[in-house]
Amino acid sequence: MSFEVAKKAIDYILDNENDSNFATESVIWDFIGGEPFLEIDLIEQITNYIKSELYRRNHHWFNSYRLNFTTNGINYDNPKVQQYIKDNYTHIGITITIDGTKRKHDLNRVYKNSSRGSYDDVVKNIPLYLSQFPGASTKVTISSEDIPYIKESVLHLFSLGINEVNINCVFEDVWKDGDELLFENQLIELADEIIDNKLYEGNVCSFYNENIGKPLSTTTSDQNWCGAGMMLSIDAQGNFYPCTRFAGYSLRNKKPIIIGNIRDGINNNLLRPFLSLTRSSQSTDECINCDYAYGCAWCQGENYDAADTPTIYQRATAICKMHKARVRANNYYWNKLYRKLELEGAEKPAEKSFDINC
Amino acid sequence: MLKYLVIQLADDAASYCHYENVSKGVQFISVENLKTAIRFGMVENLNIQFIYPKRALPDGYAEIIETIDHTKIIPCAAPNSKSADIVVCNSIEEIEGYNFDKEQIVILRIYRSEVNELPRIYDLLKGKCARLNVVLRDVEKFSEGDFEDYKSLLAQLGNKVTTSLIEGGNAQLNLLTDRLVLNTMNNCNAGDEVVAIMPNGKFYPCAGFYYDNPNEDFGDLMRGVQIKKRQLFKLSYAPICRHCDAYHCRRCAWLNRKTTLEVNTPSHEQCVVAHLERNESGRILSSIREACEYEPETTIPEIDYLDPFEKRKEW
Ligand code: SF4
Ligand code: SF4
Repeated sequence: MSFEVAKKAIDYILDNENDSNFATESVIWDFIGGEPFLEIDLIEQITNYIKSELYRRNHHWFNSYRLNFTTNGINYDNPKVQQYIKDNYTHIGITITIDGTKRKHDLNRVYKNSSRGSYDDVVKNIPLYLSQFPGASTKVTISSEDIPYIKESVLHLFSLGINEVNINCVFEDVWKDGDELLFENQLIELADEIIDNKLYEGNVCSFYNENIGKPLSTTTSDQNWCGAGMMLSIDAQGNFYPCTRFAGYSLRNKKPIIIGNIRDGINNNLLRPFLSLTRSSQSTDECINCDYAYGCAWCQGENYDAADTPTIYQRATAICKMHKARVRANNYYWNKLYRKLELEGAEKPAEKSFDINC
Repeated sequence: MLKYLVIQLADDAASYCHYENVSKGVQFISVENLKTAIRFGMVENLNIQFIYPKRALPDGYAEIIETIDHTKIIPCAAPNSKSADIVVCNSIEEIEGYNFDKEQIVILRIYRSEVNELPRIYDLLKGKCARLNVVLRDVEKFSEGDFEDYKSLLAQLGNKVTTSLIEGGNAQLNLLTDRLVLNTMNNCNAGDEVVAIMPNGKFYPCAGFYYDNPNEDFGDLMRGVQIKKRQLFKLSYAPICRHCDAYHCRRCAWLNRKTTLEVNTPSHEQCVVAHLERNESGRILSSIREACEYEPETTIPEIDYLDPFEKRKEW
């Protein structure tokens, strides 16, 4: 993205301060790549422009904004990145994605034109990261071939001092026969480790959530899961999307859904389907009446990409068997934990509720 | 459940609705397809509507058509328009120059720039036809200023309709009188209750979908109707419309897809136009009830929005 495009996008957003699309109390400026910290000079220029414009316009987001980054962590100790963090410390949120153990991480994350994995270069930055952002979390995405490494990866991340591991299965149809059993076993083995070694004290893995796996009523719980349409995603050419998953480079089978651009603004009619989505209007009866419905997530972009017709109103259900496996392991986790605490005469740990991030 | 089968007799048949006939084709439906379509309608127990072109049909078609009970939708410029149950006029000039039968329903397709003519046309047709259906050809282009103008125009029309109804007339005008007798949705229902068969022997929710892309068919006369994601054409899967009481609205699936890319999601413009009509119907209803007995137990409560989408947080 050129600075000019970024500037026009910011101008459009700030010019429309009173538009219902931007009438939020606060804003998150989310920089996503590729790897955002490769473009730290551009990011700094954009950030400075945002800050000066918020000030100049006396905009209601002045002092009510965040700058978010999801990074592979390799450049985290780069002096320019460190200076940027210092300059914006009170507004910044950074997630370093590290997949788990070295063998797991290096399975997918290797340098271009080389077979060398990036694990060592990331892990060396974790102490600095945690010293600047204590309590930081990481985000892990599981695909079929990752299943055997789930237990060791989560335990490894805990051992690195990352106490919050947000983890979810990909929504794409990648699952093989039998994956659900392997997955369930991994989560049960992980539950045993967490509970037997009291790792639940001070660590959280988002796979275990006491609320999931229950039926949902369409009258009281009919919300959409995914946030597509409630964010504005902008590509390098200045096109607007309801989420980057709707950009051409993210889609396998469907045309991009472009809802506007920096010159013409947002076409609100194209946004209406996104903002009107409910659980019941995009689910089959099987999903609506499912006994395990709570916590079964979806990604609007994958729904669209996998749908029979070009619609966002068709839930992709490739994740169904994995969700049910997760629910079974989750039941095991809480039954085992409560029984243990009961026998020990201990108090229930305060529950921290997590949702799957997509 | 399917209830209606629309059989389009030629590629250049008249549009009787929101879509434009953009086809350059002149193909008539083949005799074989015509017969098979009629048979399909009979075995599925569907009400059949034939859509005619301006040109005369080839020899033999009229006899085949008469083998089944049906409704004829014919452009006023066609040689056989006198036999139409529903006559389609594509302009103010066409409607002014035509001599309707009292039993005929008239469809007038006009642009928003022409709506000011409606009170005059309403007077002109009074007592001369069974009903006037106005179709706005460019609903999606209404601006905020157009909404204001349309509201005033509806108020003028509403006064005329009210007077006529109080005097015991049967002044049916889809924009304002349909809602007076409706307590549930009465929409186009293309793709759910209605399916169209086009001259190529393939099914579509309506002809508008065929003109957009003939390759996106919903089955053919050999395979039968295969509507993909059919639930999305149903009211229960329309997240905005299922909360709405503009019961007379066409809820046009074709316009929906054109403006929002989703057949189940209407544009802001479609909703506001329908609500301006709904609100004027409410005013008519109160005036009639003040003046005389009015039997239908319709209710049209006052509401503080023109687009139900704005109320989505309350659903
Ligand atoms: S979907 Fe229905 S209302 Fe819309 S153009 Fe087609 S027939 Fe008309
Ligand atoms: S007014 Fe809007 S919400 Fe109501 S039925 Fe028509 S299209 Fe649907």
